[in-house]
Amino acid sequence: MEASVRDELLRLFGSKLTREMVLNLETCSRCGLCTPACHAYASLSQPRYAPAYRAEVVRRVYKRHFTAQGRLLPALGEAKPLTDAALEELREAAYSCTGCRRCMVCCPFGVDTQQILSIAKLLLVGAQAEPEILAMLADVSIAKGENIDALKAGFLEGVKRLEAKVVERWRVQAGATPIPTEVEGADMLYVALAGAHSIIPAAAVFNAAGENWSLSFFEAVNFGAFVGDPAKTRRILDRIVHEARRLGVKEVCICECGTAVRVAKQLSGGQPFRVVSLTEVHARYLREGRIRVKKLPGSFTYHDPCQIARNGGVYDEPRLILGSIVEDFREMSPDPRYNWCCGGGGGLVAMGEETLDFRMRSSRVKADQMRESGADVVVTACENCHTQLDNINTHYGLGKDVKFLSSLLAEALTDR
Amino acid sequence: MATLTYIVLVPMTYLAVGVFAAGTLWRLAGLLRRPRLGLPLAVYPTQKPGWAYALADALLLPTVLRHNPVLWVALALFHLGLLALVLGHLELVADIPPLQAVPHAIFLGKGAVGLAMLLCLLYFFSRRLVSPTKDLSVPEDYLLLALFFLTVLFGSQMDWARNWYDYSTMSVNDYRAYLWSLVTLRPSIASVDGTGHTFMLVAHVLCADLLLMAFPFTKLMHAIFTFALNRIRRG
Amino acid sequence: MSAMEFAKEIDLRNLPCPMPVVKISKGIKEVAVGQVVKAVTTDPGALTDFPAWAKTSGHQILETEEAGGEVSFFIKRLK
Ligand code: SF4
Ligand code: SF4
Repeated sequence: MEASVRDELLRLFGSKLTREMVLNLETCSRCGLCTPACHAYASLSQPRYAPAYRAEVVRRVYKRHFTAQGRLLPALGEAKPLTDAALEELREAAYSCTGCRRCMVCCPFGVDTQQILSIAKLLLVGAQAEPEILAMLADVSIAKGENIDALKAGFLEGVKRLEAKVVERWRVQAGATPIPTEVEGADMLYVALAGAHSIIPAAAVFNAAGENWSLSFFEAVNFGAFVGDPAKTRRILDRIVHEARRLGVKEVCICECGTAVRVAKQLSGGQPFRVVSLTEVHARYLREGRIRVKKLPGSFTYHDPCQIARNGGVYDEPRLILGSIVEDFREMSPDPRYNWCCGGGGGLVAMGEETLDFRMRSSRVKADQMRESGADVVVTACENCHTQLDNINTHYGLGKDVKFLSSLLAEALTDR
Repeated sequence: MATLTYIVLVPMTYLAVGVFAAGTLWRLAGLLRRPRLGLPLAVYPTQKPGWAYALADALLLPTVLRHNPVLWVALALFHLGLLALVLGHLELVADIPPLQAVPHAIFLGKGAVGLAMLLCLLYFFSRRLVSPTKDLSVPEDYLLLALFFLTVLFGSQMDWARNWYDYSTMSVNDYRAYLWSLVTLRPSIASVDGTGHTFMLVAHVLCADLLLMAFPFTKLMHAIFTFALNRIRRG
Repeated sequence: MSAMEFAKEIDLRNLPCPMPVVKISKGIKEVAVGQVVKAVTTDPGALTDFPAWAKTSGHQILETEEAGGEVSFFIKRLK
């Protein structure tokens, strides 16, 4: 690695060294308690997937370049300079971590492995060694934001076609504009994903509840966050923030996408609107008696998306929804705080086939947990989790159904 | 030999205390100078008041109790032992009446505390010999365990000698004379030099000095950082 | 039926996010430069995603065609 490149990367490294980060880097006692907490280690028993091991990969470079101990006595902490080989290790460590933060629940100090690995991701972005697919997806999102005026017409046409489907299935609730867009002064801006499945059921429920809403032009998912590029993360989020401010909405509701929810809640700060997840909005409708539902047959369990539950605090809402629409709900064991990550977060699912083999091998414990729940249907509220759980279901031959919470609620809507 | 004894017991001990205090302050100042990220980084569900739960997390290690009860017992014994020994040393410097609210001999447990800590240290060490904890361990981890082990072993030797086999070539007052002379900056090792336990004392102090100096520059800082980090986790 | 000639058809119907864009960017590499890929999608988001993707990746959307709730893109590989 050229000296100038290294200096630039070390400058990036330094920019991540906030107070919180230094605490994360300096407090670990390498006790190993977090080791079995990571689904990748629990499934594969390979030390390189132990959270503290991944963190050590970053820490070694940190020690060598930023601490007295590592400069004077590098052997003591196995400090290592930043080299191409180190970069390769960082890549392996960072993009096999889903950022679920389950390891944090078990650590006596609360060391945040995801935060530590965000340094690794930033260095890889700086060295242009980040996964191509994720970088490409982030660039597409940004290009869309820059050219939205030219692209609007096509989008609106697509939405028109979807409206027919909403009307066909939820005639009574649909109203005059089943999928409103560009509604100035709407109460809520709904930010969906590209797929029809994230728009149609949500629209049905909004209309049933008489919500004054407007569909965003943009997709909620933030590929900038998956790659770990703070500048792109910001630009992708800002598209939505601008739209929300232009329309003057009171709330921005993020669809079933865990990362999108976490990024929007965490980074929008100081706006005239509130950020909520679709699940929270749905629970509110039920609590306020704004929608009427019937009970659906079958047995159901719920997979808490890490970014929504462990990292966002939304535990009760999905249970309230399921409690209203199914008779037979079964919690996964031991309890939601210790839910296993689906194994698809952090951009792994977005990388598609490329990561499929690793995703399946590293989610053996998740497959066991799904099987042991004894429920026929696994419900979740995150696009990534849904795709991954679906893959697990097929790969491990679990014979279950995997469904979105919002679709299930839309199915349970009734006019009476 | 006499020179070496003096060097360890006086200048090196002053140096160690100085490095410990200045180093720790320097590290804390360095931390506080850094900008804050300031994003919500809590793990949910959170409970209120956050600081109280964070304090409980840092002091009682509930996550360890849940996930590895054996390790929890060893950690509890080790850290409580450490606390008892630190208090014992303070009482060795001078009478501290509040600590004697319940009257006891200086150094609780008649030597059992040191023994328990040594067993804990052996257990910690053995954990690091097997995968996967082995794969996480770096030389620093073994070195600190070794230093702790030797410090406690040599220190306990003196304690055990007095308590268990009635070999009291040095009394509490002899140690106190030495320590008090250090505190009052009129160092004298006369009361502890040339006795059957001088070697033990020098070895004990040497290892303890090294530990003190290592504190600010190693993972031992977790003793302080744990409060801040747990606070962040609790939101 | 369109008169447009294409070397390969890619089915992107009912895929989860972000598979339409991921698959089209892989799929385009399976034809030679200058050849055309037909991508069929059902997602409204694709109608904005694909043009944005074509712009960033430097390919050309020749034509968009709608039939029975499905949209087909004819995309020419330019590099
Ligand atoms: S549990 Fe915490 S302190 Fe222990 S090894 Fe893991 S990150 Fe480090
Ligand atoms: S955040 Fe999740 S995936 Fe990453 S190391 Fe921790 S437990 Fe493993």
